[in-house]
Amino acid sequence: MTTQEILSWIADVFEAPREKIHVNSLRREIPGWDSLGMLSLMAGLDERFQICLTDKDIGTLQSVSDILGILRHNSVISED
Amino acid sequence: MKNTNASCFDFAGKWVMVTGASSGIGSAIAIELSRHGARLILSGRDEERLARTLRQLEHTGHQILAIDLRDHGGLFATISSLRERVGPLYGICHSAGVVETRPLSANSVNILQGILDVNLIAAFELTRAVCHRSVMDGGGGSVVFISSVYAHVGMPAQSAYSASKGAICAVVRALAVELARRRIRVNSISPGLVETDMAKKSFELLSREQIEQLRNAHPLGVGTPEDVARAAVFLLAPENRWITGIDLRVDGGLSAQ
Repeated sequence: MTTQEILSWIADVFEAPREKIHVNSLRREIPGWDSLGMLSLMAGLDERFQICLTDKDIGTLQSVSDILGILRHNSVISED
Repeated sequence: MKNTNASCFDFAGKWVMVTGASSGIGSAIAIELSRHGARLILSGRDEERLARTLRQLEHTGHQILAIDLRDHGGLFATISSLRERVGPLYGICHSAGVVETRPLSANSVNILQGILDVNLIAAFELTRAVCHRSVMDGGGGSVVFISSVYAHVGMPAQSAYSASKGAICAVVRALAVELARRRIRVNSISPGLVETDMAKKSFELLSREQIEQLRNAHPLGVGTPEDVARAAVFLLAPENRWITGIDLRVDGGLSAQ
């Protein structure tokens, strides 16, 4: 998937308008990324990409860039 | 029904979707909501029957949404495009439901699935769509499900229906807690026997004695759709901002015995 496709997916996960989600968006800037939003993200990563977050991952995710990092690490992003 | 106190709740400018709005309880809820200034989205399968309800609403600008609630896959997109047309929604009342009077031995997976499709799964999908951040008003909202007294008291030949309605009451508690952070309230109503076309039709299968027994089981007698409609308006009303996670029994005292 491309970074743009992933950003759209992240917007869906957090029920956010696509234009509000950027590579540099921070967790505190995304209203839907609260504790339940984190559960949605975990479920989405597992169902869509078969990625299970570790406790350490969950504790350190503070931005869209952090999510992209995990997806890159798991070879989900095919460009850049 | 004559309105005597339309000013106690203020739904002015708020869009509320009502499923099952073509007749019975759903139609009465829509009519009562319109008297309190709500803007209605009347949902049902039959456009002509929805138009009949539309003509009974107060004020103008209401919408008709003819959909089949069993088409779960299409509900989310339908609600999203509705929001594009009318703006943010305030709430939903899921009144549509199906009932099959069948003893256990005459039940089947298909019958159970058919009941769950409309009574539970559609309720879930509609709520998921209406409460989506891109659809619901940012200031919060209200969700009301029409459950049934059979979620609470046993009735022969109603096990599948009871299962679907009992599940709704459980969903209400979970969603009320989950959505409170967004000021979305979730409640249900459990009506007893209400004089509707559907109820009358189900009477055709019963003997005169059985019908009389059923009526007599309600200390205050059989209810009307308006009895339930007033309760729905109460739970949906923005003024009742501190009520969430409850099931309101509107059953003429049936379950109090």
